Parts: sequence; structure tokens; C-alpha cells
Amino acid sequence: MKLASKKEKLLQILGLTETWTCFFILGFIMMDYPFLDIFNKNFSIFNIPYLYFYLFGGWFVSICVIYLFSRTISISNRETETNTEDGEGK
Amino acid sequence: MTSNFESIIYILSGYVVILFLIGYYAHYRYKQGKSIVKNSSVYILSITVFCTSWTFYGSIGRAATFGPDFILIFLGPSTTAFTWWFLLRKIIRITKENNITSIADFISSRYGKSQLLGAIITAVSILGMIPYIALQLKAVSISFGILTEKSSLILTKIPDIDRFINTTGFFTALLLIILGVTFGASSIKSVRRHEGLTAVIAFQGLVKLFSMLVIGIFVTYYLFDGFQDIFRRMASAKPQLFTELTTITASTTGYASWLTILLLSMGSIMLLPRQFHVMAVENSDETYIKSAMWKFPAYLFLMNLFVVPIAFAGILLSNSTTGADYFALTIPLHTNYPQIALLTFIGVFSAASGMIMTESLAISTMILNHLLMPAVLKLKPRNWFPLLLLNLKRIGIISIILLGYLYYRIVAETYMLADIGLISFAALIQLAPAFLGGLYWRRGNKNGAIIGITAGFLIWFYTLLLPSFVKAGVLSNNILTNGFFNISILKPTALFGITSLDPLSNCMFWSMFLNIGSYIFFSIATKQNETEKEQVKRFVDVFNTQNKENRDETKWLSKPITTTDFANLVSKFIGESQANEVIGKYLSTQKIDKNEMISEFELPNFKRFIERTLAGSIGTPAARAVVDSFISDMGSYMEPFYDAFKSVRSSLEESREALYVRLKASEIINRSTNLQDTMDNLLNFLNREFKFDLSIIRTFEEDDLLHVRSAKGVMKNRVNLDKLKPIDDQFINQLVMNRKFQFVNNSRNIQHKPGLSATPTDIFLSLAHIPINRGGKLTGVLSLFSASITGLFTKQFLSLLQSLASQLAQAIELDKERAAKEKEQKEKEIALMKNARVTRDMELAKQIQLALLPYVMPEIPGVSFAAFSASTAHIGGDYYDFFPRENGVIDTVIADVSGHNVGAALIMTETRSVLRSQIATISNPSAILAKLNEMLFHDLSRAELFITMFYIKYDTKTYTLTYSSAGHNHPLLYRIAEKRCIPLDAEGLIIGVKREVNFEEKHIKLESGDVLLLYTDGLTEMANLNGDMFGTERVSQLLERNHAESANKIIKTLFSEVLNFAAEGILQVDTSMVIMKIE
Repeated sequence: MKLASKKEKLLQILGLTETWTCFFILGFIMMDYPFLDIFNKNFSIFNIPYLYFYLFGGWFVSICVIYLFSRTISISNRETETNTEDGEGK
Repeated sequence: MTSNFESIIYILSGYVVILFLIGYYAHYRYKQGKSIVKNSSVYILSITVFCTSWTFYGSIGRAATFGPDFILIFLGPSTTAFTWWFLLRKIIRITKENNITSIADFISSRYGKSQLLGAIITAVSILGMIPYIALQLKAVSISFGILTEKSSLILTKIPDIDRFINTTGFFTALLLIILGVTFGASSIKSVRRHEGLTAVIAFQGLVKLFSMLVIGIFVTYYLFDGFQDIFRRMASAKPQLFTELTTITASTTGYASWLTILLLSMGSIMLLPRQFHVMAVENSDETYIKSAMWKFPAYLFLMNLFVVPIAFAGILLSNSTTGADYFALTIPLHTNYPQIALLTFIGVFSAASGMIMTESLAISTMILNHLLMPAVLKLKPRNWFPLLLLNLKRIGIISIILLGYLYYRIVAETYMLADIGLISFAALIQLAPAFLGGLYWRRGNKNGAIIGITAGFLIWFYTLLLPSFVKAGVLSNNILTNGFFNISILKPTALFGITSLDPLSNCMFWSMFLNIGSYIFFSIATKQNETEKEQVKRFVDVFNTQNKENRDETKWLSKPITTTDFANLVSKFIGESQANEVIGKYLSTQKIDKNEMISEFELPNFKRFIERTLAGSIGTPAARAVVDSFISDMGSYMEPFYDAFKSVRSSLEESREALYVRLKASEIINRSTNLQDTMDNLLNFLNREFKFDLSIIRTFEEDDLLHVRSAKGVMKNRVNLDKLKPIDDQFINQLVMNRKFQFVNNSRNIQHKPGLSATPTDIFLSLAHIPINRGGKLTGVLSLFSASITGLFTKQFLSLLQSLASQLAQAIELDKERAAKEKEQKEKEIALMKNARVTRDMELAKQIQLALLPYVMPEIPGVSFAAFSASTAHIGGDYYDFFPRENGVIDTVIADVSGHNVGAALIMTETRSVLRSQIATISNPSAILAKLNEMLFHDLSRAELFITMFYIKYDTKTYTLTYSSAGHNHPLLYRIAEKRCIPLDAEGLIIGVKREVNFEEKHIKLESGDVLLLYTDGLTEMANLNGDMFGTERVSQLLERNHAESANKIIKTLFSEVLNFAAEGILQVDTSMVIMKIE
């Protein structure tokens, strides 16, 4: 019971517009100088250039993150819907 | 070669036929009501129209020549997907609620439906997208050339394209024109959504992904041994190039350019006309966003997975980067796998044609709505208008594709594919400030948007598009090398002397700087007009619930209005059944379904028809006025105004003029919220329309007299405008009695009588008093006078005036209600202030009362005191005091006045004064109590209050305690010898019950260490949450435990214990305690 509500709370946080915005900004920063300089090295990892490894890896991770986010939408969505119903009732 | 050419033609034709079939199937299903387009997968695949032929060619070319920045074009949109749930959803919601048809429509609607802004954005889109369309044409026709002409081509050589420009290039354009017109503007009945087109694009999305994956796997795993193999070989074969292509270096990209490209691609996914079209306009359910947010990036991810391997494989195989744009096609040809090359070609063709179809449709919609429609609507409608408009749309599509072809012929040959694409992105990014600002910034206004976009667009034109013509040799190179007019700081690619940026970043920096700057500056410096303000609400607050009510009413001109909307309007004038019949008849001749949106092509004719229909009952000018204002006011606050006509339901007897008057009058009554303005305007209107010489509105005020609220007309000064008693005027009196209009049509026929103070029949020939009433409640009188016209007031005219008056009554009532509400509010405020004053006085009283209690304990050797009082209300009735006497004798008193109100507090003060005055003369406790009782009895019995009191006298020399009680609760005495508490009791009645009372007086010997606690009942009656009282028992125990402490400490302990005990730690009753400790 308690665990479920904790999970729900986490999902609620993930469903917030602010969280999305944060991740968006984070993604933007991670794709730019100076952050990018960390990976802009003439160096290979498993024979794959470091920079490509980072960019594609990061891309994949970001897709997974959005996927997880989109799973939380049903909850925040339900909330908005109840809110609007209340609004109409007025 | 010929057979090769033919087989490619066959395959391509077959593919196109499949596209047509899919398109028609989708349309067929849609007509059956079983759409195949309405699901999230189709939606996502249609968004992938973002992947054009650039993905196949430009990306690989850039990866092979510049390095990693190609990925940004796709990483940017992926990142933007994070914002879709709130950003795209908001856009879609607004688009649907306002029937938005394109991005130009979206932005111009936000800024007060500005036609100029719509036209500017259309221009930006046309000029911005032409290079992009050229890119697609170039890609397809060169692919065609490579495939047909020299399939055994040496990889490094681009075919001699000149030969193909005239044939393939043009035929490609032609083929795409046919596709575009077919799916984009196939019939007059085209409305907002294009089911066929969406289905085709979605299918092409699948084909693109499939062919990209096949060529990628073929190259990576068939020709080579996987990713690692390609990279390893590349690293060892060309270590220098490998380093350049796998890192960001200043010589290739640099971080500034990196950021520029990232920003461009992030914006492009939302702003490109075709993206807006498929994502917002064609969207059928906003919940699709949920899966689109991650599936679309995943699609892009897969599309790009093999780009670098293909690029490197091409370099390895050809030992050069020349012609790298076409590696995806030339590698399979070079390695003798023409089938795979053909598949690539189909993928490229899908990408290019999908892009061109949607882009040209989106832009031609803009051209139609923002450039042509405003002009067409001004013309006199004709039967062939729908056809004309449809053909204009077709011509739009055709000209856009042809313009693209022209640009391609002139310029595109000199550029790499990716560069052309970025030029287009940079044009459309100019819409970003106005677009995003419009969604979230309330102040953003039309002037800011127009100036910002124009400034940014001009910079773009000068710094990117112009140089592209220079490079192509159309313009003199002089501008590039020496600047405009030989002014070097005006060099397009290094504007104002910034030389360290690449041309793209240079353009982005200056255009965005000026664009955002002007947008913000002019938005702040200038004001929004009313339309804009209303639109801001529709956009910024689209998710707010209060807007929901208006949701279905929001449509306006140049956007589809349903036939039902018009039917409703017409039925208000000619009745529902008749309206339905007339409109139904019209629709059957026009092949428009009932309840369907009227397409933009049909609107002018339909509008004309409605006007004609209404003109039959209300006259042409009125009809035109009604329809015009109806359309332009659709969805605005004026809607209820048309409902006023529901009750009118014009009968044929009523004249057209009357209806016109009704319309105008209701407009006056409903437009202004200021009652005075309404009344003045209405009277002026009546005077003008019917040549009255005077008109007056009187209303009943609180004194039951009629007050003149408004009087208009040339003869205003000839009549008495004072307050009026109804009884003073026979006509008015009659009117008040029977609530019916009173009128005189020719005053010459009646005798001039006295008692007509409001009806000067000697001045006016005809006059009328109309009751302003509603629901039987008379609020006033409307009086109309004419000095020259007789017989003015016919029955019809009077009933018209009567209905106007009742509308006015409603307005007056509303105004009164509002005034009453305001008054109530004010009274409330006053009461609140009064209350605040009382509270403040009470606080003051409390301070005074506290000051009456001794706060310095008497210092007598041999005994120590401590006292404490806490009251729950501002003032209380508890009292204690000390009266030191001579020879080490001290009196102590504790008292409790019943009740905790101001009365109790006053009595307590009185008690104190009386007591203090008596102390000097009387020394026995019992005598003091008796005297007190006698003196206070009168006051107490009148105030219905009582006092309990305990009075002690202690002699420190003899250790004798003398005490008397007036019904007070028994003090507790801790006896050190017995190690326990005993209550002190003495007989005595409560003060204020009987006039004469005998109080018992007792004596007790104390010894050092004894502790006496005097208290009021608040201490023992304190209750906890269970309702248990603190009780004497607990107090005794506490005393016993703490008797050794100092008097002060004991009292503190007692109080904290009782607070701990009390429910929620709050005192419920006043509590006072006095401790006397013998030393």
C-alpha cells in the first residue's frame, strides 16, 4: 500500500511539465559545448569512435527515458481530466 | 541501357500505382466512416515525412565530408520530442479549437487574425521552402540519372547531369505535381484533413525505413564485417581523415556551427509547414502524441544507425569523398547489386515525393487562405467560384513545385544537399519567436511579430539566399567579396564584421538577434488591440477550463463553418422548420452534406445564399449586416446577442424596418456594459431613426419617484426633467396601474389638461410612454415625443418599442444587481473594519487588565510568592492580588468572576477598586468578604454575574494563616509534616447571591516548607482529548512532587504540566494560580 503510493508519487513527479522541461534542457546541454568536449576525443571504444558512441548511446538512452515518461502520462492525464470535469461542474 | 531505363520506369510506375491505390483506399474507408488513418501508428509514420531524401543522401554526404554534425538534424527533433506532451498538445488543441489550417494561420490567428502577418509568413514559407523542394528534385533526378545512364559508374564520378536536367528533372517535377495535386487538392469537398495523403505518407514512411535498413545492413554486414570492421579499416586506411570525421574540429564544423545546426533542427520539426500540417492539422487524436514522443525518435535513430558505416564504406571502396552524397546508391551499383540500388531509389523517391506533396499542399493552403481568399471574398460571388478556388489551390501546388525546379536548375547544382536543407531551415526558424512567444507570452503582439519575422527574414534573405545565387553565378561575386555597395561590413556572409562565424551561424546570429529583439521590443512598446486580446486567451489559456464552454463556438471566416451553424442563424429569423427546409434544398443542389464543414471554396456562395434567404424576411441591408457580423463574431462574446432573436421569430406582418431596428437596438443594448452609455445610445438611435424631437428614460429609484436617467433630443430644454411622482401625471399613473403603454397620436384632438407634468401635450403633437418592464416588474418608463408628426404610434410600432423597452429593462436589472452586489461588498468591508476596530479595543482592554494584576511579587521575609494568569479570550474574569500590611502580615486574594466577557472584566476591575479601598479599614478576611458582598451585590445582581473569592491573611511572625472563602474552590495546602496536600475549606456563599452573608473564618498554623496553592477552577477543569479533567488529584500530586522547589519553579511546572495535559496543548478556560511558600 505504502509502496504503491510511493510509486504513484514518483510517477506524478515524472508526469510534471517541469520534469519534461528539465530533461529537454539537460538533453540540449549534453549535446553542446562544453559538455561535448568530454567526448570530442580521437579515441575509440570497441573500435567505435568515442564521439559517435556517446551521441548514439545518449540518443538511445533519451528514447528510453521518453518511453518511460510516456508511461506516466496516463496518470497525469487522468488528473487533468478530473480537473477539467470539476471546472465544468461550476 | 535502354532495358535498364525501361525496367526502372516500370518499377517506379508500379510503385506510384500502389500509392494511388492506398490513397484511394484510405479515402474510400473514410467515406464509409471506417478511417484507417485514425491510429497512432499512422500518425507517427506521417510525422516521418520529416525524413526527406536528405536522410539518404545529404546525411551520408555530410558524414563523409564534414563529420558528425549530420546527426544533429535528427538529434534536435528527438530532443524536442521531450516537450511534445505539453507543447505539441497545446498546439494541437489550439489548432482544433480554432480550425487552424496552416502554420501561417496559426501564428496570424494568435496575433489578432492579422492578414498582413499571414501573408508575410506565407511569403517566408514559399521562399524558405523552395530550396528545399529543389533539393528533393535534385535528389530524385540525379538518382534516376545514376541508375539509368551509367549503372557501371565509377563511384567517384557524378553522372553528366546536364543531359538529365532537361528530361528527368522536369519529368520528376511533373510526376510530383500529379501526385501533389491528386492527394492535396482532389475535390471541392476537400476539408481540413486529407485522409488519402496521410495514408500515402505513412506508407512511404515504412518504405523509407525498410530501404534504409536494407542498404545499411547490406553495406555493414554483407560488404563488411559489421560496424567495428568498417571503423577499424577506416582508421587504419585513412587515419587523418578518420580523425577529422569522428571529432568536431574547427576546420570542419566547430562548436558555433554545431549549436546553430542543433537549434535549426530543433525548431524545424515544429515549424516546417509540412511538419505543422501532419503533426497538428492532420492529427485526429491528441493522445497519439504519447507514443509518438518516443517512437518518432526511435524511427530517426534507426534511420541514422547506418549512415556513418555507409559513408565510411563509400570512402573505403572509392578511396575518395567525391560524390559522397550518393554513396547509398552508388555502393550497391559498384558492387553489382542493382536491386538494392533500386530499393534505395524507391526509398529516396518516397522521401522526396512525400515531402513535396505535403509541403506544397501546406504552402498552397497558406497561399489560398492568406493571399487569395481575402481578395476573392471581396468579389461578387458567382457559381463557378468553388471551381476557381480549387483550381487556384492546384495552381498553387504546381507553381511551388515548378519554382523549386527553377531554383534547382539555377542554384542547386552548386551546393551539397545538406547545405540546401539548412538554408530552408534557417528561413523557417524565423517564425520561432512569434510562434513560441504566442503560446506562452501574453504580451507578445502583432507589431512585434510582424516586425520580428520581417527583420529576421530579410537578414536570412541577404545572408543566405542571396549568396546562394551568387555562388550559382546569377549575381556578381562582388557582393560576397566586397560587400554591398562595396561596404565591407555589409558582406552577406560576415555581416557587420563578424568574420569568425560560418555563413549559417552568421545568419542565425544576426537574424535571431534582430528577430527576437524586435519581437520583444515592439510587443512591450505597443499595445494589443481587442481582437488580439481575445485571441491571446484562446491560445495561451487553451488548457484553462473556463475556455471550455466556448470550445464549440470558435470558428470564423476563411475557416470552415458548418452548415448547421448557418441553419441555426437562419432559423432564428424564419423559424426552424423553414430554415432546415430551405438550407436542405440548397445543399442538395450543391452536393454538400448536412452537418459538414463548408469548405473554403463553398463559403462565398453559401454566404450569398444565406444573405438572399434572410433578405426575404429582413431586407437586404439588414441581411448583409446580420450575416457579416455573424461570421466575424462567431465564437466571440457576441454570440448571445443573436440568441435575442430566438424570441422574435419574425412574422411576416412585421415590417423589414422593424426588424432592422430590433437588430440595431439589441446591438446597442448588448454591446456596452455601461448602462448610461446604453441608454444614451438607444435614445439617440431612436431619435435619428424615427425623427423624434425628444426621448426620455425614467427609472424608479429608492424613493419610489421616477428619476430622469437619460434625455436626448433637440427639445430637451422645453420639458420638466425633475423627479416625478407617478400620481402627478395621468398618463404615467395609468401606465403604472396597468403596465401598458400610453400614447397620444394627435394632441390637437385632446383637451389640454393640468396634471400632465410629464406629458406636455401643448408642445408635442404625438407622444408615447412605454413601460420598461420585464416579468411584471416595472423599472421605468421610456417616453418619446414628436412635435411635428401625427399618428406616429401604430400598433406594430408600439409593440416594437415595447419589446425594445423590455430588453432595456433587462439591462437595467443587470445593472441594479451589479450595483447591489457592489454595495453589499462595501458593507461587508465596513463590517470587517468595524470588527477589526473592536478586536483592537479588546486587545487594548487585555493590556489594561493585565496591568491591573500585580506583576511584582511582594517581598516579605519568611514567605515567597509566585503568581500566574493565562486567559483564553482577550479579557477574562480572573483576579488575584496581594496586600502587604504592617508587622509581616500579608493578605492574598484570588477571585473568579463568572463569565469571560467584557462584563466580567469590568466587574473584576470594580472588585479590585472596592477591595483596595476597604483593605485599609477592615482587617479580618471574613469581614472583608462580607463588606465586599454588600457593596457589590447590587451591581452583580444587575449584571447577573457572581464572584467566587478566597481571601487569606498570613502572619509571618506567628505562622498563622487566617482564611475565608466566598464559594471559591478549595486551595491546596501542602503540609511538610504530613507530606501530603490538604484542601482548605471555609463556609461562605458566592458573592452576589445574597445581600447579607456570614463568612466563616478559619485559622491554621503553618510551618516552614509548607506550600499553599490558590487557583481558579480553570486549572482543574482543563480537559484532555478524552474529556478527562486535570482534576485536584493531579494538582495535589504535582505539589507533593515539587514542593521543595522555589515558588516560581512550582508554578512553571504546574502550568507546563497542565498545558501538556490539555487537548492539543491549548488552554480552554482562564487559569490563574498563586503559590505561597513558607520559608
